[in-house]
Amino acid sequence: MDNLMIETRQLTKVYGEQTAVNKVNMHVKKGRIYGLLGRNGAGKTTIMKMMLGLTSIHSGEAFVFGKNVKGNEKRIYPRIGAIIETPGFYPNLTGTENLEIFAKLRGTTKPNAVKEALEVVGLPYKDKKIFSKYSLGMKQRLGIANAILHDPELLILDEPTNGLDPIGIAEVRKFIKDLCVERGKTILISSHILSEIALLADDIGIIHDGVLLEENSLAELQKKNGKYILLQVSDTAKAALILERKFCVEEYSIQDDHTLRLYDTTLDMAEVNKTLMLENISVISSQLCNDTLEDYFKKVTGGEGIA
Amino acid sequence: MNWTLFFFFTTFLCLCLIVYLATRLCRVKEQLFFIKEGLEDIKKGNLNRRVLTRKNDMTKEICYSINEIAINDQAQVIRLRQSEQAYKRLMTSLSHDVKTPLTSLVGYLEAVQKKMVTGEEKDEYINVALDKAHYLKDFVESLFEWVKLDAKEQVFQFEICDLNELSRNILTDWIPMLEDKQFAYEIHIPEVEYNITIDSNAYRRILNNLFQNIFVHGEGNQISIRISENEEQATIIVWDNGKGISAKDLPHIFERLYQGDESRGSKGNGLGLSIVQELVSAHKGTITATSTPTTGTKFMISLPKTL
Repeated sequence: MDNLMIETRQLTKVYGEQTAVNKVNMHVKKGRIYGLLGRNGAGKTTIMKMMLGLTSIHSGEAFVFGKNVKGNEKRIYPRIGAIIETPGFYPNLTGTENLEIFAKLRGTTKPNAVKEALEVVGLPYKDKKIFSKYSLGMKQRLGIANAILHDPELLILDEPTNGLDPIGIAEVRKFIKDLCVERGKTILISSHILSEIALLADDIGIIHDGVLLEENSLAELQKKNGKYILLQVSDTAKAALILERKFCVEEYSIQDDHTLRLYDTTLDMAEVNKTLMLENISVISSQLCNDTLEDYFKKVTGGEGIA
Repeated sequence: MNWTLFFFFTTFLCLCLIVYLATRLCRVKEQLFFIKEGLEDIKKGNLNRRVLTRKNDMTKEICYSINEIAINDQAQVIRLRQSEQAYKRLMTSLSHDVKTPLTSLVGYLEAVQKKMVTGEEKDEYINVALDKAHYLKDFVESLFEWVKLDAKEQVFQFEICDLNELSRNILTDWIPMLEDKQFAYEIHIPEVEYNITIDSNAYRRILNNLFQNIFVHGEGNQISIRISENEEQATIIVWDNGKGISAKDLPHIFERLYQGDESRGSKGNGLGLSIVQELVSAHKGTITATSTPTTGTKFMISLPKTL
């Protein structure tokens, strides 16, 4: 399909006896942020490495930009920016010098690419500090600068917020979002932190023990998320009036002509139903929804959930 | 003897030259192939495509120009898409967030019209209906304001004025309200002139919305505002001792129509803080919020002295 940037078909990786990635069918859509969510050791990094040719594919296929990764390496890789684990930089050179080397190796898209990439991640240009003296956060930022140095169409970022403090995480989150929204990049990002992915991703893939358990858009998943009572009645206007007058309900919203959502889940629904019936409003159904995203992921991953 | 040596020497030089030119030619040929491929992709509409080039390539300038065209076109397409999306969101907003108060307003008016209530109760129903109508009017106004900001269509009138004086003026209007609601207040504004480039209406809106937010959601009884300034920027801290914002909600509070679980329903419209953020960023400033549930919330705004 045209709007798929990455597609994997039955992608599998076996290390000795252990199956690290098991028949994964992933679909990363153009211009969106795809969050690959899973616990440590679930197989996130291995999937990314296979897409980038950093490790061999045991069986199955990976397509990037609609081309099979195998055999098209030279045409695909210049269009991807990636951080996998700790990026390899020369410890005795400064950040700027390190990026100049990568610019020379890969080529760039504009004359002052290094300076601009450093600006995006908030590192100083032509600073004297050498890489080995960098803090973990600065190293991570330089890694991201390196990934966006050649203005790639697709970014593959493996836990890019690792080792950053909360403010740093928020900054990185913001510019990843900006790269997608303001510059139309497609981004595949992995994380083991649910809240992080929920803030960033448009689509989410949940991976557990090498198996892709679910792939869906965040909006779809969030529909399953929330604490409320879904009430279907014949007349919402009248029902709202009664709820407000007799039960002092303020926290509710009207979904359509027959559906109300009540956010106070402690409401005595038996009493509500009775009162509505007495006022000649027929209650078609009332249903308690009590799932948070966390609960949902626990269910999907079979109990233990995601840290 | 000398002649033979000379002859060999020139042949060797010529050979070197031929090899050198051949490699250059090969590189150019390879580059032309990549340029062609990139251009075909761009022609098909993939404006994210870039052509990579190295510093000493002969085709460098052509590549830079191609990239520049693609980048500029891309930016334009994205701008158009963003304003299109802003209007789409407006439509969703209108249909979702107007529906609840409007339906319940209809409920009240129908009850009055069908003479289900009489006397004092009837008057009360009419008052409630009027409140809801006012709320709707405010909501629609805020919504249009927000959409204008979001689509970057708002025109600002930046002028140089004294921030301290301006703040004092705005706060003077709030004092009767604070006393009326029995809020204890503390105001620290330096007794000097501090000239800043600012749109005074926007600044008024920022403070008003923050105060409004405290009144509607805070549930506290103390409020303080502290302004401090230096050569580069002014910092405005607004604090209240209300119920605070949970860590779960805090990252979302500036999102449009995000309201914490506790405050969904009739109170507030979910646009106030989002408008504040848009206005602050129009001044190239930043706004952050920190909060401890049950003890209070602190909003910190930094505005640069000159834009």
